[in-house]
Amino acid sequence: MTALVVDALTVAFGRFTALDAVSLAVDPGEVRAVIGPNGAGKTTLLDVISGITKPVSGRVMLGDRIDLTKRSEVEIARAGVRRKFQKPSVFPALTVRENLEIGCGPALPARDRPDRIASVLGEIGLGPRAEVPAGRLAHGEKQWLEIGMVLAAEPALLLLDEPVAGLSDAETAQTAALIRSLRRPDRAILVIEHDMGFVEAIADRVTVLHEGRTLYEGSMAGARAEPRVIEVFLGR
Amino acid sequence: MSGAVQTALAAPAGPARRAVRDPLVAGLVGLCLAAAAGLLVAPPAPYLVNALGQLAASAILAVSLDLVWGYLGILSLGHGLFFAIGGYVCAMHLLAHGVAVTGVLPDFVQFMGWKSLPAYWVGLDHAPYALVLALALAGLVAFVFGLASFRSRVNGVYFSIISQALVYVAMLLMYRNDTGLGGNNGMTGFPLLFGWPMGSPGVVTGLAVAALLTLAAILAGTRLLVGTAIGRRMLACRDDETRLRTLGYSTTRLKLGIWCLSAMIAALAGILYVPQVGIINPRVLAPDLSIEIAVWVAIGGLGRLGGAVIGAILVNGLKFWLSAAMPEAWPFILSGLVLLVVLVLPNGLLDLVGWRPRPTWLRGAR
Amino acid sequence: MADPLRALLALLCCLALLTVPAAAAPLDRARFAADLCGDGAAQVRGAEGLVQAGGDLPADDLAFAGGLLGALAERRLSCPADGALLLDRPDAPEGHDAFTGAVRPAAAARAPILGLRQRAAVETARGTVALLTGPDPAARAAGLAVVERRIATVPAAVLDRARDAETDAGLKATITGLAQAAALSSPDPARRRAAIAAVAASPSGTAQARLAALKNDPAYAADPAFRTALDTGLATVSRAVAIGDGLAVVYNGLSFASILFMAAAGLAIIFGLMGVINLAQGEFIMLGAYATYGVQEAFRRLAPGLLDLYLLAAIPVAFGAVALVGIGVEALILRHLYRRPLMSLLATWAVSLFLVNLVRVTVGTQNLQFVMPAYVSGGVPLYADFVMTWNRLFAIAFAAATLVLTLLILRRTPLGLDIRAVTQNRDMAACLGLPTRRIDRLAFGLGSGLAGLAGVALCPIYSVNPGMGSGFIVDSFMVVVLGGVGSLIGTLVAALGVGGANVLIEPISGAVAAKVIVLVGIILFLQRRPEGLFAVRRRR
Repeated sequence: MTALVVDALTVAFGRFTALDAVSLAVDPGEVRAVIGPNGAGKTTLLDVISGITKPVSGRVMLGDRIDLTKRSEVEIARAGVRRKFQKPSVFPALTVRENLEIGCGPALPARDRPDRIASVLGEIGLGPRAEVPAGRLAHGEKQWLEIGMVLAAEPALLLLDEPVAGLSDAETAQTAALIRSLRRPDRAILVIEHDMGFVEAIADRVTVLHEGRTLYEGSMAGARAEPRVIEVFLGR
Repeated sequence: MSGAVQTALAAPAGPARRAVRDPLVAGLVGLCLAAAAGLLVAPPAPYLVNALGQLAASAILAVSLDLVWGYLGILSLGHGLFFAIGGYVCAMHLLAHGVAVTGVLPDFVQFMGWKSLPAYWVGLDHAPYALVLALALAGLVAFVFGLASFRSRVNGVYFSIISQALVYVAMLLMYRNDTGLGGNNGMTGFPLLFGWPMGSPGVVTGLAVAALLTLAAILAGTRLLVGTAIGRRMLACRDDETRLRTLGYSTTRLKLGIWCLSAMIAALAGILYVPQVGIINPRVLAPDLSIEIAVWVAIGGLGRLGGAVIGAILVNGLKFWLSAAMPEAWPFILSGLVLLVVLVLPNGLLDLVGWRPRPTWLRGAR
Repeated sequence: MADPLRALLALLCCLALLTVPAAAAPLDRARFAADLCGDGAAQVRGAEGLVQAGGDLPADDLAFAGGLLGALAERRLSCPADGALLLDRPDAPEGHDAFTGAVRPAAAARAPILGLRQRAAVETARGTVALLTGPDPAARAAGLAVVERRIATVPAAVLDRARDAETDAGLKATITGLAQAAALSSPDPARRRAAIAAVAASPSGTAQARLAALKNDPAYAADPAFRTALDTGLATVSRAVAIGDGLAVVYNGLSFASILFMAAAGLAIIFGLMGVINLAQGEFIMLGAYATYGVQEAFRRLAPGLLDLYLLAAIPVAFGAVALVGIGVEALILRHLYRRPLMSLLATWAVSLFLVNLVRVTVGTQNLQFVMPAYVSGGVPLYADFVMTWNRLFAIAFAAATLVLTLLILRRTPLGLDIRAVTQNRDMAACLGLPTRRIDRLAFGLGSGLAGLAGVALCPIYSVNPGMGSGFIVDSFMVVVLGGVGSLIGTLVAALGVGGANVLIEPISGAVAAKVIVLVGIILFLQRRPEGLFAVRRRR
């Protein structure tokens, strides 16, 4: 069984084809990185998986059973998919704790929430900031809070869109450690990232997208050796 | 402003205490209860009692709009529709009650040459049925319109102007004479309230007290609501609806529920308003009036239920006073006030007393 | 069957006897004068004889008879033993001889009295003379009005002659209609059938009503030929009238849609660019109309001879003036509200409240009076009742020109390129160094100016007052919602749709129902395409 299968996915905006018959499969427990230059279609891929964008054709199967392209964002989230957006998307009017409470999702009973929130607060290291409105957090703290929000629901598939964009080196290293600690046999993680060092540190395999097509799939070391990848991405 | 008020208006505290610690709302609720008690013990001149009751009804209307605008980011420019539904059903009840007691048909029915009230008025002389009908009708209209809009993700400015079109069309509809609801002239000349003559001091006081108590209850109730998990989801939905959806919450259901609740509160305001002014006509459905409700909220302080009450009382009080004193100047003053608040005091007059939330907190409501 | 026919024949013979001698010879002036000087019966005989002969008499005979008839009616006729005298005023001591023009004393003469019974015949005769010889259309029209009262006594020849000689188009049409009406009730079956065919040949609502009324005529039941002719004629007319009415509906819908388009195009550009709906757009239209009024008054003072051109001169003035107001509003108010679109609704509403009341206080609440230049008044009747009125054609042509110009501005000028770039991706445009704020301001000016142009186009059609803006502003919002963001073509299609639907539904179920149906239709449409007709799918 695979955690996530993307099958011949095509997405178009007007006349522009953002994704052109892209396919990939992620195993449970795997951390997969999707890399590629700007405009390669990486964020669009996540938009389709999380239900924000509907494709022209193709399927996205979650755990062999559910075709995500036929579901709404809400149904997809309830099926265990969580996404961290590129721009930190936290609720500024709510405190860190309240953000995490919402992150627990509607399914978790109220009495189980305090424990879950406490454990996530520990994981993301925002315990002392729990009562601060999220609007007042620093950029890095917002990134972690959002990761915490998506973790609070214990997702089976975690989508991370540039989780270290705009972070300092120290913060990037911390984030990499955090993501490595999130690996579980029953959880697949799909990361989009530009930072090659970061990708190398966390990913089992990488998929390279270019102009809406899959250019390469395999190990990071293999990607570094692949001439076409070097040409469009690494060697620019 | 004293230090106590400064503290009272300070930034909200933590989640658990936030529900109860809103001194502004608590103060206003206390004020309403005190005013109601005062009216019962030593009523002032009837016109003052009446004015107070009307202000309370307007404040309820403002609260209903702030609930969806300030907390959910949905700016309705058609809330006059729900207010009018409450008002019209209330007027129908009062007239039907009058017919049941006195046997005299209302003027407009005679004017249309009808021999009895139209068939769909049946049962409206019973107050509980009329109340349920008004709330259910407002809720139903809100549900159908809300479902159609929220399901297809119509929001922001789009939603505002479509809701404005809704109230505009309703106005055109009610201007017709053959609707059986008084047409152009509306309905007036209500003889009795629960068997008591309409203008008697007891009825005037009773209505004002009812409006004040309802305001207190609505204010306390909505404040409790926004302090719960649902309230936190409303704020989350207001600021980033897609984020909330991708966390597994059906924002359509959330918005629809609060939207219908808000419509029913607006209808309640209409129910309380009409017997106090003694008339309802299609002019309450004018788009300008619905925008004015939003103006009350914006002036008082968007996203603070107490602010909505203050705004409604302030603007309506000014209007009572100025449109009599200098009717030509009032529209200029109103437009100046709106521009002042929108440009200089983005959080409403509460800015003046030092309550200044970070603007991003209200991001979704602007 | 035979008896009525014979009676008819006899009648025709009588008519022929009465008219034919008169046609052969000019008026027997002495006999005519004697008749008018005679008793009541003679007066009626003289007057009716003149009417019957009127179609063929030479003009000078008619003038002679007119003088006598006028004198008789005004008690200025005096009858000595021979001939007749025309006095200057009643009971004057002397007068001019009707035949020679010589001045003669009237002392011994008798003044004939025109009795009530004879007055109708004499007036009809006077009307006939006026209709045939009146110096100007007004005089002839007055004559026609008199003749119309007793149309049954007037022979077709008189009306035919008047029609052929008539130079005024309107009066000519009236005479034609009257002649046909007279012919329709003529006792001669052949003539009636010909008249039916003639009426059917120029179909109109009046013609339809006129023919439909004939169904109650006894001849419809009695005379199969008459029935066939009437049924055929009526069918032709009904079909033509239906087509004409349809054309009129389409035409009105088109002109309404044109106004909507001009009101909505500016809104759509601004909305696409800044996400702001300008609730004061209706008031900007009102300002455009008031600017037009200002231009008219300026022409009236400075160049009254060129007054007819004011509407054309108002085009640039209204555009410029309202664009300046728009730029002012943008610079003072909206500039601060780009991240707060809902607040900009309130702000622009405040602007509209301010403008309406400013105009109310400074100019007044009454409707403005506009001079209608020749190119926007009247129209050309095209088919049946469908008249292509110039004022609506003006609005349609105006909107078409505006569409072309706006498209040119958006597609071919640097400003248009900037507007499109910022509309599609504001952040990227800003990164590329475009002055987005300046572009916003200019675009807001353009959008406002378009509202001003709508105001000019409205002047010849709608009434202009301070509150006019609110009348169709909700409709133009619906056009923007339906048309989608940032597509002028979408706006055009939506304007045609909303305008057409309004005008099409209105005759069937009323104006209110039309608005309800359009709104419900738009809400249902948004279920399928929430972003409007022509919006491009975009990434979040």
